[in-house]
Amino acid sequence: MFIAMKPHATAAEFEAVVEKIRALGFTPHPIVGTERKVVAVIGHTTGLDPEDLFGTMPGVAEALRVSQPFKLVSREVKEEDTVLDVDGVPLGGRAISVLAGPCSVESREQILETARAVKRAGARFLRGGAFKPRTSPYEFQGLREEGLKLLALARETTGLKVVTEVKDTETLPMVAEYADVLQVGARNMHNYSLLERLGTIEKPVLLKRGLSATIKEWLMAAEYVVSRGNHRVALCERGIRTFETMTRNTLDINAVPVLKALTHLPVIVDPSHGIGLRAHVPAIARAGVAAGADGIIVEVHPSPEKALSDGHQSLSLSEFEELMKQVRVIAGAIGRPIPA
Amino acid sequence: MLVVMKPHATPEQVEAVVERIRTLGLTPHPIPGTQRIAIGITGNQGGLEPDLFTTLPGVADALRVSQPFKLVSREVKEEDTIIDVGGTSLGGRELAIMAGPCSVESREQVLETAHAVKRAGARFLRGGAYKPRTSPYDFQGLAEEGLKLLALAREQTGLKIVTEVMDVETLPMVADYADVLQLGARNMQNFSLLKQLGLARRPVIVKRGPSATIKEWLMAAEYVVSRGNYRVALCERGIRTFENMTRNTLDLNAVPVLKALTHLPVLVDPSHGIGLRAHVAAMARAGVAAGADGILVEVHPHPEGALSDGAQSLTPPEFEALMREVRGIAQAVGRSI
Repeated sequence: MFIAMKPHATAAEFEAVVEKIRALGFTPHPIVGTERKVVAVIGHTTGLDPEDLFGTMPGVAEALRVSQPFKLVSREVKEEDTVLDVDGVPLGGRAISVLAGPCSVESREQILETARAVKRAGARFLRGGAFKPRTSPYEFQGLREEGLKLLALARETTGLKVVTEVKDTETLPMVAEYADVLQVGARNMHNYSLLERLGTIEKPVLLKRGLSATIKEWLMAAEYVVSRGNHRVALCERGIRTFETMTRNTLDINAVPVLKALTHLPVIVDPSHGIGLRAHVPAIARAGVAAGADGIIVEVHPSPEKALSDGHQSLSLSEFEELMKQVRVIAGAIGRPIPA
Repeated sequence: MLVVMKPHATPEQVEAVVERIRTLGLTPHPIPGTQRIAIGITGNQGGLEPDLFTTLPGVADALRVSQPFKLVSREVKEEDTIIDVGGTSLGGRELAIMAGPCSVESREQVLETAHAVKRAGARFLRGGAYKPRTSPYDFQGLAEEGLKLLALAREQTGLKIVTEVMDVETLPMVADYADVLQLGARNMQNFSLLKQLGLARRPVIVKRGPSATIKEWLMAAEYVVSRGNYRVALCERGIRTFENMTRNTLDLNAVPVLKALTHLPVLVDPSHGIGLRAHVAAMARAGVAAGADGILVEVHPHPEGALSDGAQSLTPPEFEALMREVRGIAQAVGRSI
């Protein structure tokens, strides 16, 4: 259930609604929009009539039941697009956000060279894994804190914001100390303990879609984070598991317009994992932006053939530059800027 | 195997290679290119020795084709295939726009739609007269009466007719009226029908089966081409996945993958691919941005009253808006409409 206040409702009127929600034994979640304030009511409200309870209170415009199982992330509750403020750099909004970097942080030279190159090409965020959830326990697992330090160094050198994966609740405090945006990997989308913890910290979260998660399950995972108080969440489509074997995953671009209608959260597309074939990453990046994605996250490596992970889907620095040229033209065609 | 002739090989030299292939009990498939002729060979069980051909005059090279699909592969023919449909091209730099109702329902419905989609920029009118419906109790199409209405719409508008052929029995009749024969997703592995389409004198659009891999799909196209009908286009229309918020999952990965593997035109059907009217335009934009050679869109004058696929059909003004958006994307990727 949510209660929308009138545009000129007073603070006292708003407070009275919040108080009444508490008195009924529910949790109020104020959501401040540009036009008006909305309070979501979290708890078992089944059987209660929103209009009866709140409709006649002063300052209340309307009191409605939310028809979707996801509440706080839904557009019914908040109509305007959410733009995450990452220390002054927006994630979401009209401008296309570009996140790029290696799959894994491997060395000082590798990360600095990549950071400088992707920044030149127009990226504002540097991606790079320090804790890697690899399918095989015998594969490179990441440089851990050493990798985080290198990411922080790259941030200092370039000003790029750092996006890196957090694998578990144990290492969350450490990763959060270095990262600007915490990425939840596809395999952790259903890790509810981790999601709950992410809801209590003050860092934006990039939530990747699980390999076999429906759009609804994915939005419920985002709801876990937001309902604990962390409203800075973005979603990332990175391909789902299908019967097709010629591509690593099947990027579900359908999810982009569907999500943009259902949720106010930013929607990012990962063409690198989505197709898994270097030659075709630009085509799929173009398609994602054309479908209405708010940003792209692309794997880039100075020498993909020597990468310790995901080399076959990583672009070289010059290939990424070429991708950016193509994506800029598509963004222009649908009236969305990419800051230089 | 593929025998590549030298750029200035004479027709007699080409004929000699064709003869050598026939003598071996195999089928030659001459494929003219802009630079040179290549001759595909099918019918061999094991590998052939390149020496059989490289020793003949005018032959530049004889190569093994590494893919199980031969004649449709880019290894055999490098340039994009452009299908000439009575003067209108399908494939190539110009995007092929196909639009129309799921089913032909009435004279007024199909004529109104045809005029509207033509105005918006379509060159092909789609419409089903024989409908392979999931339920035997659903509307099955107007049959020949529907084909006649499509022919009437062609007369009035000049649009080329794309319509589905469901079985071998009705193929001759459908081919009489249609400009392009559509093979529906559920028939993609109807091999008897594929073989007959290989002998038909009409271009064929092979839609992807709902659970067909890209390789299986290309093999289906190979069935048609290997029988002699080279005018084949592919259409991605969504695959079956666990996601149930959308009707299918449009696999746009398939577009760049196919463009690299095959010379055949690749179309995208955003209507079936997502199944939600509000999002068809976004997926049409995405398909063109990914490199598709055309789109196939369901349009109905009154979707809410449609006898089939109303939930994913656009109204004529919605289709016009889609076309404006698609034009912008087409320009951005250097394609024209």
